[in-house]
Amino acid sequence: MLNKKMFRDIKNNLSQFITIFLMILIGVMAYSGIEAYMGGMQKTKDKFYSENNIQDLNVIGANFTVDDLKTIKNIDNVNGAERKLSVTATTDNDKTLLLNFIESNNISKFYVFKGEKFDPNKSGIWLDNFYAIENDINVGDTILVKYEDLELKEKVLGLINVPDHLYDVRDESELYPDRKEFGFAYVSINEIKEDYIKKRAMKEMNITDENIFDMYVKDFNYKDYLIFNSVMVDIKTKEKRDKVKEDIEDKVENAKAIINIEDTSSYVTYQGEIDEGKTYVGVFSGLFLFIAMLSVITTMTRVVKKQRQQIGTLKALGFNNRKILFHYIGYGFWIAVIASILGLLLGYIFIGRVFISLEMAFFEIPNGKPAMATSSYIVALGVVLIVALITYITGRSILKENPAETLRNKIPNVKSRSINFTKKSIFKKLKFESIWNLRDILRNKMRTLMGIAGVVGCCMLIVCALGMLDSMNFFVDLQFSTLYNFNYKLNLNNNIDNNQLDELYKKYGSHTSQTIGIEIKNKKGKRESNNIFVTDAKNYVRFVDRKNNIISPPKDNGVFITKKLSETKGYKLGDTITWHIYGNNKYYTSKIIGFNKDPQNQNVTMTRKYLESLGINYKPDSLYTNIDLNKEKEIDNVETIQDIESLKEDMTNMLSMMKTMLVLIIGFAILLGTIIIYNLGILSYTEKQYQFATLKVLGFDNKKITKIFIKQNNWIAIISIIMGLPLGYYLTDWLFKTAIEEHYDFGASIKFKTYVIAAISTFIVSYLVSKLLSKKIKNIDMVSSLKGNE
Amino acid sequence: MKNFIELKKVKKTYVIGEQKFNALDGVDLEIKKGELVVILGPSGAGKSTLLNLLGGMDKITSGSIMIDNQDIGKYNDKELTKYRANDVGFIFQFYNIMPTLTVDENVNLIKDVTKTNKESKEVLKKVGLLKHADKFPQELSGGEQQRVSIARAIMKNPKLLLCDEPTGALDSKTGVEVLKLLRQQSDEDTTVIIVTHNSLIAEIADRVIKIKNGKVEENKLNSHPKKIDEVKW
Repeated sequence: MLNKKMFRDIKNNLSQFITIFLMILIGVMAYSGIEAYMGGMQKTKDKFYSENNIQDLNVIGANFTVDDLKTIKNIDNVNGAERKLSVTATTDNDKTLLLNFIESNNISKFYVFKGEKFDPNKSGIWLDNFYAIENDINVGDTILVKYEDLELKEKVLGLINVPDHLYDVRDESELYPDRKEFGFAYVSINEIKEDYIKKRAMKEMNITDENIFDMYVKDFNYKDYLIFNSVMVDIKTKEKRDKVKEDIEDKVENAKAIINIEDTSSYVTYQGEIDEGKTYVGVFSGLFLFIAMLSVITTMTRVVKKQRQQIGTLKALGFNNRKILFHYIGYGFWIAVIASILGLLLGYIFIGRVFISLEMAFFEIPNGKPAMATSSYIVALGVVLIVALITYITGRSILKENPAETLRNKIPNVKSRSINFTKKSIFKKLKFESIWNLRDILRNKMRTLMGIAGVVGCCMLIVCALGMLDSMNFFVDLQFSTLYNFNYKLNLNNNIDNNQLDELYKKYGSHTSQTIGIEIKNKKGKRESNNIFVTDAKNYVRFVDRKNNIISPPKDNGVFITKKLSETKGYKLGDTITWHIYGNNKYYTSKIIGFNKDPQNQNVTMTRKYLESLGINYKPDSLYTNIDLNKEKEIDNVETIQDIESLKEDMTNMLSMMKTMLVLIIGFAILLGTIIIYNLGILSYTEKQYQFATLKVLGFDNKKITKIFIKQNNWIAIISIIMGLPLGYYLTDWLFKTAIEEHYDFGASIKFKTYVIAAISTFIVSYLVSKLLSKKIKNIDMVSSLKGNE
Repeated sequence: MKNFIELKKVKKTYVIGEQKFNALDGVDLEIKKGELVVILGPSGAGKSTLLNLLGGMDKITSGSIMIDNQDIGKYNDKELTKYRANDVGFIFQFYNIMPTLTVDENVNLIKDVTKTNKESKEVLKKVGLLKHADKFPQELSGGEQQRVSIARAIMKNPKLLLCDEPTGALDSKTGVEVLKLLRQQSDEDTTVIIVTHNSLIAEIADRVIKIKNGKVEENKLNSHPKKIDEVKW
């Protein structure tokens, strides 16, 4: 019978229970969904990396011989090693391919979508799956690949994903992978034929006649002349990695740089996405859940308190406390159980799957799927327990009274002390509706605070979502209009000589730069990878300070380091840094003479003159020009031509992907805000109904009562907006500063328009909900409302 | 003397589910201006329904209610609101005063709905609450709270003062004080109608109406109403 009563009570208070249900559902859904998404990202990656045996180290050098490979393989704790020749090649239709020549494929193994497994003895190419899709290339098609004077016409044998190619961009100035223009490919080293190697060897030896060459080089084995510029190393125990690195440095002279896989851009970018997401989990879903739970707690407390007389009746009828408590716990419990289970499922399906599929369009990784996190089950269980506990505590406090007392209605308790101050001074001049609302707020602090928390959360999320877009746009503008003051960037060939350079200078000007990979010895003596940007670009590449004002480049007596790097590593103006170039053990000490802000790279900057004053040869790798190269498809000795507009376009593409997520966040924010405002509005209305009925009896018309009711909600909305706007800014700034990868330096830069939109939309949501609720005022039945109170 | 209130064949039917229930079943009634009327009757007889209809809080199903020559039975919601605001004062058993407004503010609240030439202080003095003007209701006793309710009602100088068990929640001493104030109001030419279970109150009335099963069982003038102090409570 009590169950019947429960169902009917729920039916009679349906709107309140529906809001409780929705708040739990959305809270759990947001939390579990984002957790499933992040967990899925991590799991997918871990699985792919371990099943396909990603390398632990990349050893870089000019050329590694068979002996070098043997040496590395024989080092303690090395599980295996494979040589690779990586070059930037072009196709016959001017696409760029990162072409890898390999001997075997046991490290960083292919995941084959279509076609066959790698076989060194097979002639053909294994192609980047995304690149193939974008360019409509299929297994069995033939493509032409060119690298310098080597031309390979290869049949596509497989479409693949490779663990160290989750994310590839042409160079660091590209922000978004352009799969139509750039991809990776693998071929067997055997595809470089003896003829080609022999000709190259003859060229190097300045021999034109093959017979003479054969005379000089007896027992010519072309395989000894193959070049491998990197070795992938698989280590047994990761803890011993530093030791392995040291051993390679000692024993392999050709090793110029040894890079941990965790420092490679593909790894860093994917992991960065996870780390970024983990912060979002904490912030967004935590915020959702927190606000939703506050609201659920308030509502459940009120629902049970409303049952006061019925609790008294049940007690008077002889029901024991346990039975009554269980009966009331049931109200919230079953709703919380159903909402939590649905929240878990919907979160997995709608948030987890949707976000993962967005990510899988960005990263080249197979079998991406969400993974339900244990913490989500704990949160769901926690929500159910909290709801049950709140009902229990409220019910118990009513049960402590004797039945006679419980049967009487509790007259609203007004603690006059807390509102006494409103009888004096300026408050005396307030209109009735203002003073009434003010005191109502003071009387119902908890309900008001919940309302404020809900609306603040809604406003913050809107500011944050739109603010992130503003900030990204600001960053694009800073990068491409302020820092980059050129129209084209030419990436020069590695082996360009001075004559060829002069040719280019004549045609396109001599604004150049060089990026040098270095290791900085930090204050504790540990070496950390970084790079130096050596500028001879004059004002084609500009610098800004922390406040984004343009500053002059460093003088010729020291280096600039980026502000973020100085903050994370604790460098001050006038300090020195000790560094060495990869592949050269000579250490240099440079004085920090200034700080610059770089949104994308946290590195060191110096002038060409300063570099040369240290006795280091300047060898530009980039040339900047404003000459129109729109029609140029290829320039001699230039690897790639980058158009600033297309770089900007890449960025805009990335922003449009972000927009989808932001729309989702805003949608959630508004949904949550609406539900919370509606829910608390219902509570507030129910509590005031009797007073409104009295006002109606006294002759107040509906319009006037509506005005009183909406006024309070408007105040709450305005206070919340005032709080929500700056909090939204800080949330955005915090997210940018902490969640984003270490090499970025963004901050919130939110337009005034965004604040206006956030304020207006929050107010509109609040106003519309109040207006909707105020419709009930029209239908207040004075007689039954006043009777209900008796 | 002309009738101030005139009810003819007033019916009020409530529909609960499929059941129809006549709370008032053809009530005819006349009351003169300035009379103190006591309506008696058992629970469920229709006393409160009658009071609600007189106060414009509810609408009749059929018949007519003339008050001061106006047929309020034909009033729409807007007109009823105006009627309640200008012409009627209500006093309830459980006072129904605003807990978050001070005594003075509760009385002054009336100024938000109607024009009045009275000052709250003057009214509070009349009901003996001037020293409590700045207190909140919960700082007052039950009798004092009911006096706030009376002060609020008479602040607007109503033509009709409707009281639903005004002493029901009070002890006899406080009840007497409240009745004195109501008598005083009637002496000042306000028509006062008291609905009660307490037949002793009938002894002080100018007119006593008994209601049973939604019908007027008796409507008689009391030629010698007792003074309040003469009644043995």
